[in-house]
Amino acid sequence: MKTVRGMAVVILIAVAAMALFGPALAPFPYDRQFRDATSAPPGGRFPLGTDALGRDRLSRLFYASRTSIVLAPAAAAISVALALLIAPLSLSRVSQAGRMGSPFRAAISMITTVCLALPWIFLFIILRAELPLDTGPAASVLITFALMGVAGWAWPARVFSASIGQMERSGWMLHARATGMGPWRIALVHGWPQLRAVAIAQFRILVPAYILAEASLGLLGLGVAEPLPSWGNLLRDLQHPDLVRANPAIAAPLILLVIVMICLEALQIGQSGPETGAARAKAMGEPV
Amino acid sequence: MTPTGSLEPRHAANPRAGRAGNRRILARRFAHGLFGLIVAVLAGGFIASALVRYSPGFEVDENSWNPKLSAQTSAAIHERREYENRLPSFYARYLMAAMQGNLGESDAFHVPVTELLRERAGVTAGLLVWGLAGGMLLGGWLAWLAVWPRRMSFEISAVSISGLLLALPPAVLALGFFLADAPIGIGVTLAIAPRVFGTMRALWSDLYHSGSLLAARARGTAPVVLAWRYVLCPAAPQLVALGGVSLVLAFGILIPIEAICDVPGIGQLTWRAAVARDLPLLSGLALIITFVVALAATIGELVEDGPAGGGGFDGTESMAEPA
Amino acid sequence: MRKAVVTLAAALAPILLVGCRTAPKSGTTGNELRFSIAGDPKTFDPLQISESHSETVRDLTAGVLVRVNRVTDALEPELAESWKLSEDGRSIAFHLRAGLKFSNNSPLDANDVARTLNRALDPKEASPVGDAFQSSAGKPSVTVTSPLDVSIVYAVPKPGLDRLFETLPITPRPGPTPAKLPASAGPFFVSEYRPGEYVRVARNPNYWKRDSSGHRLPYLDSIRIDIQQNHDIELERFLRGEIQVVEKLEPAAWDRVEKAKPGAARTLGPSLDSEFMWFNQAPSRTLPEWKRKWFMSAAFRHAISLAINRDDIARVAFYGHAHPAAGPVSPANRFWFNASLDALRYDPTTAAKALADEGFVLRNGALYDKDGHAVEFSLITNAGNAARENTAPLIQTDLGKIGIKVNIVTLDFSSLIDRIARTLDYEAALQGFNNVEIDPLDDLNVWLSSGAQHAWWPNQKSPSTPWEARIDELEKEQASTGSREIRRKAVDELQRIVVEQEPIVYLVNPDYLYAMSANVKGAQPSVAPPHIWWNVEWLKLE
Repeated sequence: MKTVRGMAVVILIAVAAMALFGPALAPFPYDRQFRDATSAPPGGRFPLGTDALGRDRLSRLFYASRTSIVLAPAAAAISVALALLIAPLSLSRVSQAGRMGSPFRAAISMITTVCLALPWIFLFIILRAELPLDTGPAASVLITFALMGVAGWAWPARVFSASIGQMERSGWMLHARATGMGPWRIALVHGWPQLRAVAIAQFRILVPAYILAEASLGLLGLGVAEPLPSWGNLLRDLQHPDLVRANPAIAAPLILLVIVMICLEALQIGQSGPETGAARAKAMGEPV
Repeated sequence: MTPTGSLEPRHAANPRAGRAGNRRILARRFAHGLFGLIVAVLAGGFIASALVRYSPGFEVDENSWNPKLSAQTSAAIHERREYENRLPSFYARYLMAAMQGNLGESDAFHVPVTELLRERAGVTAGLLVWGLAGGMLLGGWLAWLAVWPRRMSFEISAVSISGLLLALPPAVLALGFFLADAPIGIGVTLAIAPRVFGTMRALWSDLYHSGSLLAARARGTAPVVLAWRYVLCPAAPQLVALGGVSLVLAFGILIPIEAICDVPGIGQLTWRAAVARDLPLLSGLALIITFVVALAATIGELVEDGPAGGGGFDGTESMAEPA
Repeated sequence: MRKAVVTLAAALAPILLVGCRTAPKSGTTGNELRFSIAGDPKTFDPLQISESHSETVRDLTAGVLVRVNRVTDALEPELAESWKLSEDGRSIAFHLRAGLKFSNNSPLDANDVARTLNRALDPKEASPVGDAFQSSAGKPSVTVTSPLDVSIVYAVPKPGLDRLFETLPITPRPGPTPAKLPASAGPFFVSEYRPGEYVRVARNPNYWKRDSSGHRLPYLDSIRIDIQQNHDIELERFLRGEIQVVEKLEPAAWDRVEKAKPGAARTLGPSLDSEFMWFNQAPSRTLPEWKRKWFMSAAFRHAISLAINRDDIARVAFYGHAHPAAGPVSPANRFWFNASLDALRYDPTTAAKALADEGFVLRNGALYDKDGHAVEFSLITNAGNAARENTAPLIQTDLGKIGIKVNIVTLDFSSLIDRIARTLDYEAALQGFNNVEIDPLDDLNVWLSSGAQHAWWPNQKSPSTPWEARIDELEKEQASTGSREIRRKAVDELQRIVVEQEPIVYLVNPDYLYAMSANVKGAQPSVAPPHIWWNVEWLKLE
C-alpha cells in the first residue's frame, strides 16, 4: 500500500515539476507558428506533431500544464473549503426538538438548491461583458478560476450536509452538545475530520470538471485566450474525431490527465482506515 | 456506560408523544419541506430569468447583423422582444401562467414550451436514468470493490478505473459511443460512475468499520441482510443526497453531450435556448430544474429525519446491540 | 466475499450490455433526399424569414413568379407565364399560368399575388421580404386587372424590379385557423416539423412544372432536412451515406471526404462571401480617444492591411480553400466586381515604413504612437467558426511582427452582436458575411453611413467623412435607377473608395465547398445562394 501511494506521490511531483519547469523544457515557444508544417503528424522536429496553425503540440502541452495543474486544483480547493465553512452553519444551535424548525438550516438548504440549479453560464457571460476587453490573459485566467471555485461550492455542500445530518444524531455529537460545545468548535474537533474522506472525493471530482469548464469558458472570452494553451483547450481538440484519427498524439494531454487523476485517487489507497464515527465516538467516550 | 447508550435517539426520547404526536411532527415537517420547496423554486426561477434577461445579447437579435434587413424591420423585431420581456412584470405574468400549466411560447422555436419539453422529455429521461441508476450502481460497485474485499489488486483496479473515467471529458466519452454506434446511455453511466465513486467509497469505508456491522458479521448474518440492514439503510440519507446531486450533475453533463452528439433531448434544448437567449424557455427550464433539485433535497431531508430515522438509520441504536 | 463480487457483477452485466440504443431516426422512403442544417428554422412564414435556416426551407418550398437561372443568369418564368417590365423601370405586369394550385388544393390567381405583396409591404407585418420592395418614394401600387394579370407600379424607377420577384413566395389566403405548416405553390411543401430534429418537405402534387416527357416534377418524393449542429457528425453521417448532401463543407473536412469518397467533395472556387476585420471608429465610452485616433487614420488601417499575410490565411486557416480578397465585392461576382482594382498586397516593410511616417516609433520590438502609447488592441470574434478562430491568431502573429500587440477575445455570437451592433464596446472585430447575394444593393445598410450595419460607425446622423458622404451619394444613385450600367459605375466607384480608405480590411473570399453523393443527379450548383437548391425540382436520386 505504501509503495503504491509512494509511486503516486512521485508521479504527481514529476507532473508538477513538468508544469513548473515545462517552459524551459519546451523545444519551441508555445505560440510559434510553423506555417509550412501545419497539422503535422508526430515525428522528427515535432514529437507530438503540430496543430492547425503549425504550433508544436509538445511545447504547448508543457506550457498548458502550468495553468491547469495549479489553478484547477486551487479552484476545486476553494469550492470544497467554502462548502466546509458553510456546513457547520447547518449544525443547529438550538435543541433537538427545534432542529427541523431551524430557519438557518432551511435557508442554507434553500440557497444550496438555488445555486445547484442556477444557469451559471449566464453569470459568466455577464462577467465577460463587464470585464474590459483588454484584461490581460493572466488576470482573466485568475478571475475565471476564482469565480468557478466560488460558484462551485453548492455541489460539495449538498453532499456534506447529508453527512452532517447523519452526524447530528451520532453519539459523540450529542455528547459534544451536551458538554456545551458551539457549532464551530464541534466542526473543528469532529465535523471536519469526519468529512475528510468525502471532501477529498469531492475535490477530485471538481479538478477535471474545472479543467474542462475552463475550456468552455474560453469560448465565452474568459479564461485562457489565444495563443495561450491550457489542458482544457488542448482537450477540446478531442471533440473532433477527424483530428484524432489524423494524429492520435492529440490525446497526449488526456493521458497526462488520466495519470494525474489515477494518482490522486491512488493517494487514498489503504486510507479507508478506522477513522470513523464509531471509533471516534469510542475515543471521545473514554474520559467521560 | 457508553456514551452512545447515555442518550436515546431523538424519536424515542419522548415516548409520551405517541403516534398522534409523531404524525403531527411529520405533518409539520412536510409543511416545512413544501414551503422551502416553493420558495426555492420561485427564487431559482427568478434569479435564472434575471441572469438571462441581463446577459449581453438579450437585447439584440442575431439579425441586427443581417444587412438584408432594413432599419425599420430590425427595430420592429427588436421592439417585439423588448415588449415581451420587461423582467418583473414578465416574471409575474409568467408565474401566473405557469401555475395553470402554461410555460409560454419559446422565442427561438415559436412553439409552446410545454410542447417542446414533452416531446423531448423521453430521450433525456432515459439518459438520466442511465446516468443516475447506472452511474450509482457502477460507482457503488467499484467503491465496494475498493473497500470490502480488502484486496490490494481490487482496490488498485477500482481506483484506476475511476481515475480514468474521471479524466475523460463526458462529451468526448459520449461522442465515442455515438460514433461507434453504441448506446450513449452507457457513456453517461461511465461519466457519472467516477463522480459518485469517491463519496460512496468514503461511505462504505465508514460503514465497513462500524461496530454494528462487525458484530453482525461476527454473528454470521446473511450477506443480503447485511447489505440491506447495515449498509443501504444507514447510508440512505447520504445516498439520497448523492442521488440528488448526481441528478443535477447528470443533467449538466447531458447538456454538452446532447449538444455535441445532436441528441434531441432537453439538454440540447437548453443549450440552444441559452445561445438564443430564449427567456420563456429558459425560465421554464429553470423552474423545472430548481423544482427537481429542491424535491430531491426535501426528500433527502425527510428520509434523514423521517419517523423511521429513529430505527435502523443511525448507527446509535444498532450500536447498542452488541452490548 | 468473492462469491458476492461475482453475484453483483452478474447482476450488473445485463444492464450494462443491453444499453439504451438511441432510437433510429425515423424510416426513410426510397425517394427521399436528406441533408442537414445547423439550427431550427425560426419561422415557416416565407414573408417573416430573416435567417438562413428558414431561408433553406423557403428555397425548397417557395412558389415564385420568376426565377433567375443560376447558371445562365437569365430570368425564367415560374408561376408567371410572361411579364413585361416598363422601359423606365417603374412598373411591371405579370401574366400567370392558368389552373395553378397551392399544395392544399386552393387555387392560385392574381389576387393571391396582390395579397401576398401587400402583406409583405404592410408596416405592421415588419416583413424582411417586404423591405426590398420599398422604394425611396414609398410603396408601389398593386392592381389586379384580371384573374391571371397583376401589375405593380412605382412612383420612381426601381432597380432590378423584375429580378426582385424571385424573392416573393406567393402565399395562400389564410384560413379561419392559421395553419401551423403553411401550404406552398413551389415544388415542395413543409409536411412535418420536429423541433430540434428535422423538417420534412413533401412533393407538392399540384406543382405545375413537367419535364420534357410530361412527367410531373419534382422527381423527389420528399426531402428531410435534419437539424444537426455538429459539423463533424454531419460529415460522419454523409460518409456513412445517411445524408446525401453537405451544403457547406468545412475546409478542414475536404481531405477526409476526398479520401473516403473520391469525387464527393466539390468546389466552385471563390464564393461571394468574405471574411474581414474592421476597427471601431464610433465614439464609445470604453474606447480611449487616442486609440480612436489611430483607427480613424486611413494610413494606420492601410498599414494593418499591408501587414496581414492573406495567402497564409487562405492556406492555413482555410486549408487552401480560400482566395485573398480584393475588396468588398468578391471576384466571383463577375458582373459587379471592379476588375480594375489592384489585389490587396502583403508587404510588412512598407507597412512599417508607413507607420514610421505617421509618427509611430518601434522600440524593443513594440510599436508606440507619437504620444508614447503602446499600440495594442483587442480583436473580438465569435466562437464556433473554426476557420475564423484560426484566422485570428494568424493576424495576431503577423501584426506582432510590426510591433503591434493584438489580444484575441472569442465571444459567443449573441455577445459579439451585442457589442458590434448595440453597445459599440470593442476595438476591432473579425467577422464575415455569409450567403451574400449577387446584387450589391443587398448590403445597402453596410455602406450607408446611416445604416445599422455600417460596421465601423453605425447609425450616423450625417456622414463623418467626405468619402462616406460620397458613398452615401453613390448608394442613393444606384438605388434609384433601373439601369444596370449606371448602377455598375456607382458600384465600381464604391469599391475603389473602400479599397482606398479600408474602413473594412477585407481578408479572404472562402471557396464554396460542398459534398454530394454520386447518386444525386440533376444538380447545377452555383456560388450564388441557394447554391444547390435553386433548381430543386430537377434533383433525382438514382
